[in-house]
Amino acid sequence: MAILSIQNLSFTYNGANRKALSGVNLEVEKGQFVVVCGESGCGKSTLLRLVKKQLAPKGKREGSILYNAQLEGAGNREQGTGIGCHSEQSEEGPSFHCALTDVEDMDERVAVTDIGFVMQNPDNQIVTDKVWHELAFGLEALGEKPDVIRKRIAEICGFFGITDWYHKNTSELSGGQKQLLNLAAVMLMQPNILILDEPSGQLDPVAATEFIATLLKINRELGLTILLVEHRLEDVFPLADKVVLMNKAEILLCGSPREVGLKLKETDPQHKMRLGLPAAVRLFNLLGAAGECPLTVKEGRDFLERTYMPEHTEISEERPDGKNRAAALEIQDGFFRYARNAPDILKGLSLKVYENETLCVLGGNGAGKTTMLKILSGVKRVHQGAVRVWGKKIKDYTGGSLYRENVALLPQNPQSVFVKDKLIDDLREATALMSLKREAGDAEIRALCDGLGIGSLLESHPYDLSGGEQQKAALVKMLLLRPRILLLDEPTKGIDAYSKTVLSDILKRLKAEGKTIVIVTHDVEFAAQNADRCAMFFDGRIVSEDAPAAFFAGNTFYTTAAYRISRGFYKNAVTVEAVAELCGRNPKKL
Amino acid sequence: MKSVRAFETYHPLTLFAFFACALVICMFTLHPVLLAVCYLSGVGFYGMLAGRRKLAASLARSIPLTVLIAAVNPLFVHRGETPLFFLNDNAVTLEAILYGAAAAVMLMSVFYWFKCYNEVMTSDKFIYLFGRVLPKLSLILSMALRFVSRFKRQYREIDDAQRAMGMYASKSLTDRLRSAFRVFSALITWSLENSIETADSMRARGYGLRGRTSYNNFFWRRRDGFMLAFIVLTAGAVIALLSAGRAGFGYYPTVTPIGFSVYDLLCYGALTVLLFMTVLLEMKEAVRWRYSLSKI
Repeated sequence: MAILSIQNLSFTYNGANRKALSGVNLEVEKGQFVVVCGESGCGKSTLLRLVKKQLAPKGKREGSILYNAQLEGAGNREQGTGIGCHSEQSEEGPSFHCALTDVEDMDERVAVTDIGFVMQNPDNQIVTDKVWHELAFGLEALGEKPDVIRKRIAEICGFFGITDWYHKNTSELSGGQKQLLNLAAVMLMQPNILILDEPSGQLDPVAATEFIATLLKINRELGLTILLVEHRLEDVFPLADKVVLMNKAEILLCGSPREVGLKLKETDPQHKMRLGLPAAVRLFNLLGAAGECPLTVKEGRDFLERTYMPEHTEISEERPDGKNRAAALEIQDGFFRYARNAPDILKGLSLKVYENETLCVLGGNGAGKTTMLKILSGVKRVHQGAVRVWGKKIKDYTGGSLYRENVALLPQNPQSVFVKDKLIDDLREATALMSLKREAGDAEIRALCDGLGIGSLLESHPYDLSGGEQQKAALVKMLLLRPRILLLDEPTKGIDAYSKTVLSDILKRLKAEGKTIVIVTHDVEFAAQNADRCAMFFDGRIVSEDAPAAFFAGNTFYTTAAYRISRGFYKNAVTVEAVAELCGRNPKKL
Repeated sequence: MKSVRAFETYHPLTLFAFFACALVICMFTLHPVLLAVCYLSGVGFYGMLAGRRKLAASLARSIPLTVLIAAVNPLFVHRGETPLFFLNDNAVTLEAILYGAAAAVMLMSVFYWFKCYNEVMTSDKFIYLFGRVLPKLSLILSMALRFVSRFKRQYREIDDAQRAMGMYASKSLTDRLRSAFRVFSALITWSLENSIETADSMRARGYGLRGRTSYNNFFWRRRDGFMLAFIVLTAGAVIALLSAGRAGFGYYPTVTPIGFSVYDLLCYGALTVLLFMTVLLEMKEAVRWRYSLSKI
């Protein structure tokens, strides 16, 4: 019997005329790991929020969300009086045994403890200044005695490995630690169902993988039921007991990962979610292969070995060599530190970016990649070494000439670009800076916004846009300054797979217009698809650089999933498309 | 590396009682012996807490300041019966000089004891103490501290982003002010926007349910009882003796002699024991630690 049973659920937000959810049916068994995916705006967040009483959005709800408290050993907890009994829904047991409650009618206390909810932004969820206080927050609210709280915190700190930073300030933690803290703070209340709304969206890939591993540990070792919404499916997809694919307020597909991977192709081969699936599944779909769908890198390798003869093993790359072109940006032996007594962040960094190339700089957290962009955009100055833009020293650009028709930086958080209440006002600021007349400026704004598909959002508040839209809007503001060099800091952070391909297309168009692009990213797949050249940043400088195929084919760990699948079979196929192309050329094994 | 500290491991209540007594006594005494005790113990304790190098740097700045403050008094106050010389037809008296010096040393000892307070009474201890009086207050303070650090960080982020677009790149004051205003107004929107999610997170974890308790990391041990008794006894003795007019001292019109009656000595002794106890504790800890290290 299901612990959570959603029956014929429809939901309309107050003031909206379109249904955010329509006719959703979903059964979640006890102990299941359920992954919900779908493009942004498909209603998956609404669905999750409706399950948590305290977060349920305001609007018109039809159908029911039934929670079965009795299934878990809820006996050790005092049960609230609110656990009513809907005898007409409980067909199985006699009425005294049933504990099916609609989430709406749950007792406040039970709703707080039994259903845990973790949101996307690690920072916004943290309430207090100290780690220990944050952990205690929920239990304090429930009125537990300090001795009980201490015992539970001790337990949880051991499980999550928080002991080392138990006394720290929450502001000192890394993004991954913050999200782990949020998870631990929720787990302290001993929930029966854990709901997570894109918890790894704001984390770098390493921290995201660690977070997912922790979730898996909770699921496997504690048997906790988990309901997870995710964009990055590479890690989660193979682990799920059940995958729910949502599309336009409805559930499109629901089943085991293998089933969904297979069925998606049959139902809608052009579906946007296809792009977010793990590399092995995408490869399988691209090849139109039959049989069992591979999910992991390992299964993907088996699939390749089983299916294709290794005759053609190399893919020719026709990326132009830019080294004979002029250098757009150049750093020579740059040293930088934030304070006099602080350690050097950049240690003899040397880098050349050639005109009209796309350079991707990859590397771990805190290696100094963002700092490098600050140097290149003139926000910070090196204390040793030379920085040149178009061969001219960066400090010789005075009075904003560095930023007009020259260099523009798109920061990691696009929100920090906006300072006005309406998007159009923000963009007009940029046209004013270019000394354009109102009409001419507005015409340019309209042209750019329409080109990026955000023309209808000009009157909105910048903060009301979705993550992907915000990023496009920020990009428009940059482009209004008509830059020749674009610097992008982690542009793929927190946006879904489809938005990534849109961004990819935009970047290709900009490059065709002759712009020079530098991207700092963690996203190896994105780099493999978009870069002319990749560079590895480590310990304050660039340690290796090469064309993407050679770059990723030279790495064993820090490389794309597609290459990990094809390594040993093919020499330099680093994208799923390249692997599929090579497969297509090779004859099939019998 | 943070050095091993002994005194700060006591319960916040004990610590707060100590600092309250020490600061009050320091503030209200101008008696040369008591001043010397306050100043030396304050500087000594700060040295034990912050390390020799930081102490030296701080003294290098504070001693000239002490001299400056001391010099101001005789320039404006001409009371006292022992003129040393005349400046612009005004007598500069010995009494005024001594009084200025005493006031300067008093200020400095308060300054150093406050520095020690800052090192020892961290925000969580303070919050814990006052959270017991007003349970909501401790949460509000904790949230405020978190908010301030986020606000500062976001200010820098927005400011950097704006500068990287060449907004208000000139160095003129009006431009800088306008730029700061723009960033600030954006920050307000940002914090309102993000606080919605924080409120959600609080509600999801049961904020607003009845019967909230307050958790803390502090334990009251037996030694806290002893320490508190010691503080109450010594500080009580000093304050009682002072308010009974013992260990009195006057600068005007002439400097009175330093008293050495039994009561006076008792007062000096009690204050010395009270304030130097901290220094001794830290020294004992340092020695014990070194000794136990050498055994390892």
